[in-house]
Amino acid sequence: MNSQSVEKKYMPEISQKEIEELRNTIQATSQKIIAENIEKMKKTDPDRPKAMQYFDEMANFVTREKEIRAAKEKGKKVIGYTCLFAPLELVLASGAIPVRVSSGWYDAAKLGDRVVPVEVCPVVRSTIGAKMIGLSPYLEVSDALISVLTCDGMTKLGEILSDYKPVWPMTLPRVKDSEQSTRLWREEIKAVKGQIEALTGNKVGRKQLKSAIELTQKATKAFRRLQELRKGSPVIMGRDAMLVNQTYMWDNIERWTEKTAALCDELEERARQKNWACPPDTPRVMVTGTPMIWPDNWKLPTLVEEGVPEGVLVADELCSSERLLYDPVGVDEWSMNDMLNAISERYLMASTCPCLTSKDGNEDRINWLLNKIKEWNVQGVIYYVVRGCMLYAMEYTRVKKVLDRLGIPIYYLDTEYTREDVGQMKTRVEAFLEMLTARIDL
Amino acid sequence: MIMQLLGEVLKLTVLAGLSLAGILVILIWKKGLATKVTYLRFVIQALAMVAVFYMFTYPVWQLIVLIVILVMPLVLGRFFCGWLCPFGFYMDAITLLRKVLKVRHRNLPDRLNRFLHNFRYVLLLIFLGAPFILSLIDPPPSLNFATLMALVFAGPFEPFRVLLGPVIPLIVPWVGPLEIGGLYFSYPYVQEVILYSNMAFSEIFVTVTALIFVALTVVGSFFVRRVWCRFCPTGASLAVVNRFRGFKWAPALHIDKDEEKCTKCGICKRVCPVQVTEVYEQKGGKIDTSMCMLCMRCVEMCPYEGCLKVNIGGKTVFKSRNWLEPSTVE
Repeated sequence: MNSQSVEKKYMPEISQKEIEELRNTIQATSQKIIAENIEKMKKTDPDRPKAMQYFDEMANFVTREKEIRAAKEKGKKVIGYTCLFAPLELVLASGAIPVRVSSGWYDAAKLGDRVVPVEVCPVVRSTIGAKMIGLSPYLEVSDALISVLTCDGMTKLGEILSDYKPVWPMTLPRVKDSEQSTRLWREEIKAVKGQIEALTGNKVGRKQLKSAIELTQKATKAFRRLQELRKGSPVIMGRDAMLVNQTYMWDNIERWTEKTAALCDELEERARQKNWACPPDTPRVMVTGTPMIWPDNWKLPTLVEEGVPEGVLVADELCSSERLLYDPVGVDEWSMNDMLNAISERYLMASTCPCLTSKDGNEDRINWLLNKIKEWNVQGVIYYVVRGCMLYAMEYTRVKKVLDRLGIPIYYLDTEYTREDVGQMKTRVEAFLEMLTARIDL
Repeated sequence: MIMQLLGEVLKLTVLAGLSLAGILVILIWKKGLATKVTYLRFVIQALAMVAVFYMFTYPVWQLIVLIVILVMPLVLGRFFCGWLCPFGFYMDAITLLRKVLKVRHRNLPDRLNRFLHNFRYVLLLIFLGAPFILSLIDPPPSLNFATLMALVFAGPFEPFRVLLGPVIPLIVPWVGPLEIGGLYFSYPYVQEVILYSNMAFSEIFVTVTALIFVALTVVGSFFVRRVWCRFCPTGASLAVVNRFRGFKWAPALHIDKDEEKCTKCGICKRVCPVQVTEVYEQKGGKIDTSMCMLCMRCVEMCPYEGCLKVNIGGKTVFKSRNWLEPSTVE
């Protein structure tokens, strides 16, 4: 690594010794937290689907890191991405491994404070902190990063990370449905395709791209099966499903699809036997807002599903979970041009990220929420925002107005990347769940 | 005479059978793709072409076809354009060829597309008005209803033929412009092109203009999907009905959109062969556009279950489904 020789624009100089120390402590905590979270998930649903075992293993970072490193030895490239606007199909078509590098470590967020002020979104601070001490295995192994300039934090995060490795910024137009925007974004997609090709040395041809699109389509198919299964009485706890969705961010996609399909088979069998994960009258909750990233930032789902009274997450609108795969790439004609158009439209136009707007504002997000609430029979919505996430916080008013009209309770929950407020959050979440239970009883 | 006709019918049946077999081969070859409706449409278009041929064997049927394509839009909208029109079928066949050759298509700019769509009314007016204007310039001996009708249906311009233009099958049961081995071949509008250019140019130019016309439409539809349908005057006569106030309900067959299920992913806009943007832009409810030919490609390609629906009189006949196939268990 020649990162030592390059002058760092942002990152402070830390002694090797301190890095080691910090990494060891945080890594130990992280492993403990992972084990604890999984243990808690097992406790909530003692008869957890057997297929979940695979995802538990994928969740511990170590297994997948080894695999990626082995693939790297064989000459494979790894391309990281921070926001899910990065065109995975192009990465896959070039034979590289895509991994998402956004970080969910609470302790790392504190380290990030050394570079950026504490007001900045903790996802960004945590990713900076993780890079500082080499905590995130996926961030470490990636050869380049696709940094899509979505929110302010992510824009500068890419810049800061370029202290360490090549970062390809992609300008995301903020208006998602105008002719100019789609043109700009299409050009960006083409440009990043060139960069991917240059890094991997593989040309992204029509055949490769077609099979990559088919691969993600299959993944979407498996993903949708899982979400459809959550429509009825709960056959799977929300945390389990969220973990499955989340592992997509770093897993081998082909294997992920297979395993998810296997999980769905098992769940279908359970649905037939009416073997529910929790009582069918459990309040059905949906979360929307800032991404929740494994392993640390798992406190809200845990609180909801372990609360007294208990709730179950049946749907969400998080870019770390359901938004990852909800939209397929719909190709009309398998010509290179049409495939690239399909990819660029899928990432830009179908997104419900609050950093985008259109003639009707972020109406797509409202529609997504309404559709989920109706189809998934959601009884209450938790609007989750981490401090510093301006865009989600600002959209709350609009979402609340719409849901009030429908009579769906919505609860605004703001928090930080910290374990200190768990007790206080517990009270708030349980009060909300109690209210939902009372409403259901009524 | 009857024997000759039977022979021609036999030849055509063989031809139609061959083309159907070809389509079936493509269908099987492409099996597993989410394009079932497209191929169903293809088969129906081919059958419609054969049916039109049989109808045209009796001159009175020309009038009946004309009445049908004028009255049908009240109930079915431009369903005729998307599913039955032979010219549409040829253009779709050319599109299929282009897809096999993996050549990309071009889109017309949206503004030009809209202009062409409005231009079809102008074209229609010109063709329908020509005999009347002509009768004013060069008045017939006695101007009454009968002579006017004679002008419209048998005069030098035969405007009803323009409306029937796209319906002309490739093999015609009358003395057509091109004869090969006892069969008369034709092409939409070619007879009209010959008729009109015959008035202005000499014999050689007639052939040349006809050939240019054929070449232009073939090449045009190779690069631009359904290029003729963007300004076809017959499409206007069909579409114009739902522009009137009392006829808002008019096409009982129409596309309906569920706003909440739509994520505005833009697939419907991209796959539309005539670049209808309303399906994408409209918020929800009945899609109100006379550009749409109800080919149902958008409904077929929309990946959100029940987001786009084809309704006929309030009953859903076909709706977008998650073509990635969700779980069957509820």
